[in-house]
Amino acid sequence: MRLLMLLLGAVVLAFVATPLIIVVPMSFSTAVSLEFPPPGWWTGYYAAYFSDARWTRPTLNSLGIAAAVAVLTVILVTPATFALVRHRFAGKALVNLLLMLPLAVPHIVMAIGYYAFLADVRLLQTFPGIILAHTALSVPMAFLVLSANLKGFDRTLERAAMSLGASPAATFRHVTLPVLWPGFAAAALFAFVQSFDETVVALFISGRDTETLPRRMFDSIRTTADPVIAVVSTLLFVAVAALVILPILWRGIARRRSEARP
Amino acid sequence: MAERGFTRRSALVLGGGIMAGLATPNFRRVRAAEVLHVNTWGGVWERAAIKNLFEPFTRETGIEIRPVSPVSFAKLAQQVRSGAYEFDVTTLGAGEIIRANQANLVEKLDNTDLAKSPPFPGAVFQNGASSHAFATVIAYQKAKYPNGGPQNWADFWDLQRFPGSRCMQRYASRILPIALAADGVPADKLYPMDINRAFRSLDKIKPAVRVWWTQGQQSQQLLRDGEIDCIALWHARTLELIDQGQPVEIVWNQAEIERAYWVVARGTPNKDNALRFLEAALRPERLAGFCRDSLNGPLNPAAFNHLSPAEAARMPTAPAYKDKVFEQDILNFGGDVNAVTQRFERWIGT
Amino acid sequence: MSATAAATGESSLKSWLLLAPLLVFLAAFFVVPLAQVVVMSVTEPEFGFGHYAEIVTDGFHLRVLMETFVTALVVSLCCLLLGFPLAYAMAAAPASLAAAMMVVVTMSFWTSFLVRTYAWMVLLGNRGPIAQFAEWLGFAAPELLFTRFSSTIAMTHILLPYMVLSLYGVLKRIEPALPRSAASLGATPAAVIRHVVLPLAAPGIANGLTLVFVLCLGFYVTPILLGSPREQMVAGVIGQQVEEFLAFGEASAMAVVLLASTLIVLGLYHRRFGLDRLWG
Repeated sequence: MRLLMLLLGAVVLAFVATPLIIVVPMSFSTAVSLEFPPPGWWTGYYAAYFSDARWTRPTLNSLGIAAAVAVLTVILVTPATFALVRHRFAGKALVNLLLMLPLAVPHIVMAIGYYAFLADVRLLQTFPGIILAHTALSVPMAFLVLSANLKGFDRTLERAAMSLGASPAATFRHVTLPVLWPGFAAAALFAFVQSFDETVVALFISGRDTETLPRRMFDSIRTTADPVIAVVSTLLFVAVAALVILPILWRGIARRRSEARP
Repeated sequence: MAERGFTRRSALVLGGGIMAGLATPNFRRVRAAEVLHVNTWGGVWERAAIKNLFEPFTRETGIEIRPVSPVSFAKLAQQVRSGAYEFDVTTLGAGEIIRANQANLVEKLDNTDLAKSPPFPGAVFQNGASSHAFATVIAYQKAKYPNGGPQNWADFWDLQRFPGSRCMQRYASRILPIALAADGVPADKLYPMDINRAFRSLDKIKPAVRVWWTQGQQSQQLLRDGEIDCIALWHARTLELIDQGQPVEIVWNQAEIERAYWVVARGTPNKDNALRFLEAALRPERLAGFCRDSLNGPLNPAAFNHLSPAEAARMPTAPAYKDKVFEQDILNFGGDVNAVTQRFERWIGT
Repeated sequence: MSATAAATGESSLKSWLLLAPLLVFLAAFFVVPLAQVVVMSVTEPEFGFGHYAEIVTDGFHLRVLMETFVTALVVSLCCLLLGFPLAYAMAAAPASLAAAMMVVVTMSFWTSFLVRTYAWMVLLGNRGPIAQFAEWLGFAAPELLFTRFSSTIAMTHILLPYMVLSLYGVLKRIEPALPRSAASLGATPAAVIRHVVLPLAAPGIANGLTLVFVLCLGFYVTPILLGSPREQMVAGVIGQQVEEFLAFGEASAMAVVLLASTLIVLGLYHRRFGLDRLWG
């Protein structure tokens, strides 16, 4: 029975992995659109991707938007997380709920909401409009990550610093911040990825000059489905692989180093 | 420890992103001077337009033209409502130009030179500049029907004799006349349409329609990848595939001819330049070049002076096809185009 | 006196000051747009509840809603059926193997769903590996793309990591000795899973099912790109009403129905398990 479950598990794992891997050979294909196995191999679609402003501009747009979202999200969420994790006050449960709400509302609902709202305030199809919308949608994940981090923070460190005469500001800067820094980074990363991948809202509120990469990908899949989309997919896949695997490798190296040094 | 890996990575990504974010707006500001954005259908259509219409216009006026795709009637409506313009000029088919005028989405051409001294009769229609004629034809995979595929719309509808998947455009005013033709209505009796009869006819083919295409390039991709066996698509897209060596057959019989019109999006800040573009796009030589490369038929008769008989023969306006084809008669539609479109969209979704 | 208690004494004013920037931001750029959807549903083009009446009476909208719920249910169950063996294998495997499996699942989780949707177009397409294999076996290439099947399988694949991560969390915590001792007491493997593992995993199962179901209800892109035109999901219809007809009222009313359905499901979960565990 155990063996059967393991076997089934392996099959499901193959089901999970296959679609991720298949985009890699597709990106080197000479085929005009969807054909697998590829009829021939070349890197021409990579050249097409990097030399075509219709692809590079949305890519840069998305990177810029996501970076701004990451910064803005962390700036807004950090003080709020401190309040919610460390303080008790009336209405806390309600605030908690509000912070999580963007995660619960389907994106298509927010898409038409933002579409109408941003048009009213003349921010439709502008970078600020997209950044504001994406920031709101990134709040819950950043909050979850940061509050998990803050809950694990040992406050005796802060109290020790204060008892030694450090001001609250100095304590925050020299004690709290260095310890929580990975938490901020993780929260920023979550916000970054959330914005970079966000498709549905961007389809409705981004425009000609503010087109995001997912919107460009959506249009491309719907029209030509040519292998440039496989190139983008491969690049994204490699970025994710780096993001997931590097920390594990890093941990492995660090562990070995610390074992070597008793 | 795991988090430290995250940190460095995200710092790099962040740094790069901020630089990109800072760089982009400047880069745009420099180029923002005199630019006209024209909505195009991509592919061969766009290449023909860039070479024969956009580049000569830029050479003459110094106004840069940037193509924007994909084409979407909805965007035309959206940008008038929202005030954020993605394009200043677009082309519309007959059904859309009626809807656009109903919803007041395009600039009036009444006081323009084009309307006051038209270069040819019918140059202005419903606030659109008459550009070219194109056809919706039947195309099929040769391999699927070695003995010949459907030869008319009734055949296209006949799933017993010609089994296989179908594909048509998601475009009510273009598909309904075809549905009537398939139901046996002769070409001269199509208009005003019996809308209910058209939908009853469509019901019969609906289960076989795997995809309702919306973009020209999409129709080509579906045909090229063999996802569908028979398709109703534009003649130029079909000829392009055949020229590329795809095993596809085109059927000119009962081709549905329609006209395309250049229009200016209402309220665009570039209205004056957009109107200049409309005037320039109808000039015989440029239109002839565009039609030669995109295989469409020019509506300005003078354009034929710049086309060889062989070139003209591949166009839907060619005399050889005259008795086979039928033309849209949008002013005599037989119902409210917008309401019929709504009904069509719902019908597709159920 | 504990630190928290001390902080409480400090004044709730400070808490609200810390919260103020985010709350103002969310009020302006989240609550207002969301409220606008609700308002538009009864004011566009004129005031009244006509759109809701239409949703209930015209047949079309109810059918779309039904279609959406059934799809979400099927996808949730598929995710459970596939996710359980995988999560079980991960929990039972030796640490290094489990870590490797986790990498694959995490990578799928983080990979843009547009990438995964595109990958399924390649896999299921008429010139794709499955069709070629069928032809090699001597069958006609099956029509897989643009069907209910293709969108269901792609959505299952996209949402599977949520299920696996939910299940893995609980399965990992089950004492490994427990099923073994049940087995040693004479229980069949099937009985062990049914009477020992499943009840202990129930919170994880509920968690995974709720997440997948709710996310699936609002799916927009995948059904449009991969699905059959006849089996639209509610998000697609909402988007189309806005994009094609600028019918904000009708789209908003459907959006409110979708939102309400989502919140009801989450509310049920909240009453039974507590919402803070859902995304934990």
